[in-house]
Amino acid sequence: MTAYLIRRVLQGLLVILISAVATYVMLSFAPGGPMAGLRQTQQGNRVRITEEDIARIRASFELDLTVPIRFSRWLIGAPTGPLVIGGKEYFADMVVGCRKPLEAEVLNSSGKYETVTVGCKEVVYLKDIVGRRTSRGILFGDFGLSWKILRDRPVSTLLESRLSKTLQLIGLETILSLLIGIPLGIYSAVKQYSTFDYIFTTLAFMGSAMPSFFFGLLLILLFSILPKSAGFMYIPAGLSESVRDYVIPVIGKVVAGSAKDRTLHLILPVTVLTLINIAGWSRFIRASMLDVLRQDYVRTARAKGLSQNVVILKHALRNALIPFVTIVVFTIPGLFSGAIITESIFAWPGMGRLYIIALSEYDYPVAMAIFFILAVLTVIATLLRDVLYTIVDPRIRLS
Amino acid sequence: MTVPAHVDPLQAEAITIEERSPFQVVMRRFVRHRLAMVSMAVMFVIFGITILAPVIAPFKFDDLRVGDYFLPFGSVDQATGNTHYMGTDNIGRDYFSRLIYAGRISLTVAMLSVLISEVLGILVGSVSGFYGGWVDALLMRFVEFMLTIPTLPLLLIISSMLLRNEDLIPIPEPVLKFVGNLMLLGPKDARNAVLIVIVLAGFGWLSSAQLMRGTVLSLREQTFVEASRSLGATDIWIILKHMIPNAMAPIIVDASLGLAGYVVAEAALAFLGFGIQDPIPTWGNMLSATQQYMFDKPWLPLVPGLPIFVCSLAFNYIGDGLRDALDPRLKL
Repeated sequence: MTAYLIRRVLQGLLVILISAVATYVMLSFAPGGPMAGLRQTQQGNRVRITEEDIARIRASFELDLTVPIRFSRWLIGAPTGPLVIGGKEYFADMVVGCRKPLEAEVLNSSGKYETVTVGCKEVVYLKDIVGRRTSRGILFGDFGLSWKILRDRPVSTLLESRLSKTLQLIGLETILSLLIGIPLGIYSAVKQYSTFDYIFTTLAFMGSAMPSFFFGLLLILLFSILPKSAGFMYIPAGLSESVRDYVIPVIGKVVAGSAKDRTLHLILPVTVLTLINIAGWSRFIRASMLDVLRQDYVRTARAKGLSQNVVILKHALRNALIPFVTIVVFTIPGLFSGAIITESIFAWPGMGRLYIIALSEYDYPVAMAIFFILAVLTVIATLLRDVLYTIVDPRIRLS
Repeated sequence: MTVPAHVDPLQAEAITIEERSPFQVVMRRFVRHRLAMVSMAVMFVIFGITILAPVIAPFKFDDLRVGDYFLPFGSVDQATGNTHYMGTDNIGRDYFSRLIYAGRISLTVAMLSVLISEVLGILVGSVSGFYGGWVDALLMRFVEFMLTIPTLPLLLIISSMLLRNEDLIPIPEPVLKFVGNLMLLGPKDARNAVLIVIVLAGFGWLSSAQLMRGTVLSLREQTFVEASRSLGATDIWIILKHMIPNAMAPIIVDASLGLAGYVVAEAALAFLGFGIQDPIPTWGNMLSATQQYMFDKPWLPLVPGLPIFVCSLAFNYIGDGLRDALDPRLKL
């Protein structure tokens, strides 16, 4: 068991490292970024930006360093300068980047001229980066500085406020789905082939086929836009709280930012997430319940004369929940991904929406930070799932 | 003197039941799944419309009329005399024409993605399951590794990189031409769609490979494989002739459920702004565009949204029906 755990943890770390390298490299080759706009103003000749300015700005975003050096500074906060051992500097003259790239206009395959970096006029040595500001490394909890969304402020301040908003959604979603989904699944399994079961399975099937983005828009239409324009009671949609006070028929005046306001804004996004989640989870519970109810020990329990409730809740449910526990654990990182779409529909200021904004506004440090967090969460959840498997079901052995 | 006993020849038909091929058996079971049949009919109609898109559509999908913004349903275009069945969008393009061209593009993307991911999955899965050993370990560790990375965030990163840097992956001209013809797009626009197919199928094959490997692992131990081997069959022969045909049942089910998944995934990417970009119409980016106008025109999101839902539901029902028909034991 210990050996297995150690191996799995090491594997998990490897997964995180490789996926971080892969995404970092991909994003560093993605066009855009802080220099794109500058080039345009320079080409338009409205603002004169000297080569020296560009070099300085590139340096402030670390864009003058090579990708491996940048990645290592991002991941572990090193190197910050030459290696000093016993008062002697090593690798001081190692080339770690290019301060002023040599650019040329080249005719590309589609017949247009484009600017291509062909060489380097002035290189950066390792001794040059002494004293530059740097993050302590994402492994040590420093996510670096935002490029655009909160320019030059730490990504972590951005994440703090957003993370709590996402956790609100996901926490409520998980609790509600468990509270509603499990009883629904059990009831439907116990009353197999009843009208309730028929309606339930049909709805659950539809729910799992329903794309969350369309479902979200439908809910906004049905509960927010249409009733509002008709003058009925409606549920506000968009953002997590409103900017100014508003009046809803029946409910009355709602003060912006109050608890009432925030609760009202939670309703629709949580409903979307919960209903889609319930569709999946309760179908699973129903299937595993049906499986267990056919077992011999359930028949034995019934033959002993136990009441229906005891048979179902004590004998059947406990065993039916075994596979479910692992499913629940494993879907938790998936909930963050699911929140990406739902948050975008409702303009919910959480991590998922931040991720989309960061990617479309070229704020790559923010995007990388969120991706890193999600990767760590997924790896932990995978590990937890496999360990839980053995704890809840002793028949499974780890190897 | 002995009288030869007269024995009536046995009437084979009288005893045995009517002989049915496995295909007929499966078809009879499939036809009994009523919702799957309804779904087949619905998809038949949708496919018919999208195949006939150039004939049915009164306008080209990117024809814009300056000033004719948000025309109502059924208004007639002055210049050509054609009807805007569903009115026009915010820059004066015919909504109905865009919708059916979008269907053609969205469904083609889904089908190509399924095709590529299943073929890749079958190849990797059968090699992995058949040979076992270090080949299996290597391939399956890789698959497991890919599956531990959060998919949607990674998809978003990859497509945002590919879409902004279109020449990063060289795609041969014939492929672009072929896909362009399927989707009625020029080769330049088709590149965008091909990139999305690559992104979607690049992740989709992982689960198919796992499925295929599991099936092959159990098939490998069957006696008919041993028989075939004792007759001198090569590995490739056994894989192509015995493994793949016998493992088709779960793969077919996986493919039809995959179609539903890809229609939704493509739409989700486009909805978030990281899929196929306007002016090329897809249901996803049309739905995304309606968000701005839904306050004034609340019916607008239904037009591109319902086809996505209907296709997703129909493919799911068809997959469900196929699962029941192909392997009754799998029924939940």
